[in-house]
Amino acid sequence: MVMPSGSIYGYIGDQMTLAQALFMGLLQGATELFPVSSLGHAVLIPSLLHWGFKQSDPSFVPFLVLLHLGTAGALLFIYRSQWVAIIKGFFTAAVRGRIETPTERLAMLLLVGTIPAGILGVYLEHELKNLFASPTAAACFLIANGFLMLGAEVLRRRAERRAAVTAKTRVEQEESFGAAEQISFRAAALVGACQALALLPGISRSGITIGGGLLAGLRHEEAARFSFLLATPIIAAAGVLEIPQLFSTAVPWAEYLAAATLAGSAAYLSARFLLRYFRSGRLDPYGWYCAAAGVISLALLTFRP
Amino acid sequence: MALVVLAVVFLVVAGLYAVGVLQFMVSDPNASHHYTHAILFSVLAVASLIGANFARAKRTG
Repeated sequence: MVMPSGSIYGYIGDQMTLAQALFMGLLQGATELFPVSSLGHAVLIPSLLHWGFKQSDPSFVPFLVLLHLGTAGALLFIYRSQWVAIIKGFFTAAVRGRIETPTERLAMLLLVGTIPAGILGVYLEHELKNLFASPTAAACFLIANGFLMLGAEVLRRRAERRAAVTAKTRVEQEESFGAAEQISFRAAALVGACQALALLPGISRSGITIGGGLLAGLRHEEAARFSFLLATPIIAAAGVLEIPQLFSTAVPWAEYLAAATLAGSAAYLSARFLLRYFRSGRLDPYGWYCAAAGVISLALLTFRP
Repeated sequence: MALVVLAVVFLVVAGLYAVGVLQFMVSDPNASHHYTHAILFSVLAVASLIGANFARAKRTG
């Protein structure tokens, strides 16, 4: 039974307070796009803070749905003009049977990248979440996520040396790599399939897809753009498909919407920051953060009283 | 032609999931409809038709 409350310390779900809901909204919005695993943080942090609410509780599903819709809304807003062009390009190329512009190619790349993620997501989500929904598993996968990103950067640096990129600044160095529209269809499918790994708590969707984009020869900023564009249909579809859940239980709308707005705002600011950061930045700091956070979490979970 | 046949197969599978006849690898076997699976196979059918159209356009030059 959900009991809405006006107090910031009052319970809005069976066990979650408004302050916790707002914190979870902020956390989800920020960590969904930062390559640090939103699911991993959502599993780890409540456990480390000894918060009592259970994410497996049916009353928690509408909350997650709204947070995902908030994040998807932020991504759609950021890329609104690109999405209009992509959708137009998709239908034009599909009817014509031929790709003639970079936008039409991007539209088809997104379709090719979304299909494997959709198949793996639909068939494996339930099993994977049940198998690995423990804070200890999340901490281990967070460490693995860190090393995956660090590994992607090691391979990228090798590619830079092989290509004899001797530009003076990082921005100039980045310019010798490609744009999202130039990625091969095989690479798009592989990057898309890698998204399914994000069903494991601790593995970051954006981390793995940005890493994949880098290995496919994209600039960091373009790898991030492709990752965000690729994530939008999946996050939006996951949210929209669960909308009936919103009406199946009594939901404290005001509090949940406040948390979703916070998630959307955090996602918007995160995306803006990351797109600017990746003009010259690398995945390394996030890789080290994930490895360190995973090790610390594992130690706290193992040795806490 | 093969892609058109594949699209028809995907549509049939989507329909079977939607009405609950097909229960292959579903999270809740007691549910009477599996709309997520149905939508997935509908998207696959559309993608197959697009692929068929691309192949046709390539053949006709």
